[in-house]
Amino acid sequence: MSFAISLRAEILKTKRSAAFWLSVLGALFIPVIFFLMYFFKPEEFSAQLKSKPWEGHFEHGWQALSLFLLPMFVILTCSLIPQIEFKNNTWKQVFASPQSLGNIFFSKFLAIHLMILFCFILFNIFMLLSAVSVNFLNSKYSFLSTPVDWLALLRLSFKTYVSILGISAIQYWISLRFKNFIAPIGIGLALLITSLIIMQWEHISKVPYAHPALTFFDIRKKSSHLLTNHEWNSIGYFIFFTIVAFFDMKYRKERG
Amino acid sequence: MSSPVIQTKNLDFFFNSGSKTLDDVNLVVPAGSIYGFLGPNGAGKTTTLRLLLGLLKKQHGSIEIFGKNFENNRIEILKRVGSLIEQPSLYLHLTAIENLEIYRIIYGCNKSRINEVLSIVGLENTGKKKAKQFSLGMKQRLSIAIALLHQPELLILDEPTNGLDPNGIIKTRELIKKLNKEHNTTVLVSSHILNEVERMATQVGIIHKGKMLFQGSLGELQQMKTKQTALEIETSDNTKSAQLLKEQFSIQQLNGKIIIPFQSKEQSAAVNKMLLQHNIDVYTLHPQQSDLEQLFIDITSNDK
Repeated sequence: MSFAISLRAEILKTKRSAAFWLSVLGALFIPVIFFLMYFFKPEEFSAQLKSKPWEGHFEHGWQALSLFLLPMFVILTCSLIPQIEFKNNTWKQVFASPQSLGNIFFSKFLAIHLMILFCFILFNIFMLLSAVSVNFLNSKYSFLSTPVDWLALLRLSFKTYVSILGISAIQYWISLRFKNFIAPIGIGLALLITSLIIMQWEHISKVPYAHPALTFFDIRKKSSHLLTNHEWNSIGYFIFFTIVAFFDMKYRKERG
Repeated sequence: MSSPVIQTKNLDFFFNSGSKTLDDVNLVVPAGSIYGFLGPNGAGKTTTLRLLLGLLKKQHGSIEIFGKNFENNRIEILKRVGSLIEQPSLYLHLTAIENLEIYRIIYGCNKSRINEVLSIVGLENTGKKKAKQFSLGMKQRLSIAIALLHQPELLILDEPTNGLDPNGIIKTRELIKKLNKEHNTTVLVSSHILNEVERMATQVGIIHKGKMLFQGSLGELQQMKTKQTALEIETSDNTKSAQLLKEQFSIQQLNGKIIIPFQSKEQSAAVNKMLLQHNIDVYTLHPQQSDLEQLFIDITSNDK
């Protein structure tokens, strides 16, 4: 019950915040580009998307997202939401309010994840709209006459979400540690780029920042398992770093 | 006297730098009082208040609020405490009402409280204006409104009038007095301005370099003040007078005047007689009512 109260307060804080707008714009970016591509090169893309238009559309969209933009979005969101407290000097008011440390920590983390899921949902909606609207403008496409494979879309979204879990916990921990938001973003970006460079390494499935990219390659393979190795690793990292971050906050000498 | 709302025992605190920020602080805030916590900047006021709210991890000593150990009853205690520590803490991208709504949810107060506290601090008509567009005074008032939202039994205010204009200072002071009188709210308010504490506090604690130098009622402080009263003397030959007086009193020379500790009327007469006997004309001879300001300087410079 008290957790729900803390969560409601957390969600209220994100109203009109930078994190909120980042979610909206982040979700809009790729669908707009796809719309423009489809609109200006109808010959090429209608031929490409002939057999399975929705599957092709969504896979391309998620792939474009998950390689770099999505982990970057997660890094930014994980630091922007704790930044609301740092920037406004409000940590002290939060810690002086009657909430348990667990509620403070986990409600904020859940608010971050709700923000990420909000972006996922918006992204799928915008992808849907971009295809439908381009089809209205150009009848060469067959989006309107083909049903959407909702299950495949859900699977795609779910796998991608699991792939960012590890990053989210690591970034949340770093963001809680540093008052200056450059630190978590800089560290996150450096780790992300490093893991993209070492993509060929045989142990790459153990590198959390490479997980979204691995899911991106995995989508093409169409394996029969819902979750693959690196996605389980991502869950492992998520649990481990969430615990580390919580105890780090709990035993800190100075709060707010 | 009623039982204290806040009681700390042997509270010490070190920051990493090593020097003691707090040294054996025994704070006693009686129920229903306005406790003025006085000290120059850097004396340890904010550190003490942060410890009371659990914003700093206690290192040594004990803290009891409402007669309960703070660490074991943190949430229960915080439900009954309103606080404002240092600069305003507001979500600048939100309006006044939205800021209050966040804490209304957390404290579980009635929706009507939002308008009530807004009218208490005089911020009824800010509408869709975001907190970042507020003046410092308005931000401070909104922070006070947040602290009042759940009708706390204890208010902890750290320099609440900092950055306010004279009118704002008076209003805040009146508000603190009113809350204390009408709702019997105990208020612990820190300040580095003596005058301000003197005008609202019933109890005073003076802290300097992490040590409590004085703690007691305003009346007791006034009594100390009389003890500290000085006799001010101005003569035709101050140098000679000073030499004469030095034999009997500890003297101070200030702006062409000699100041000695005031003991009694008889002492004044004796001093006068002695100076006249040495052919010195006495221009001025009167007990100087050293105000609290002077006392404050006296007290805080004692341990040099």
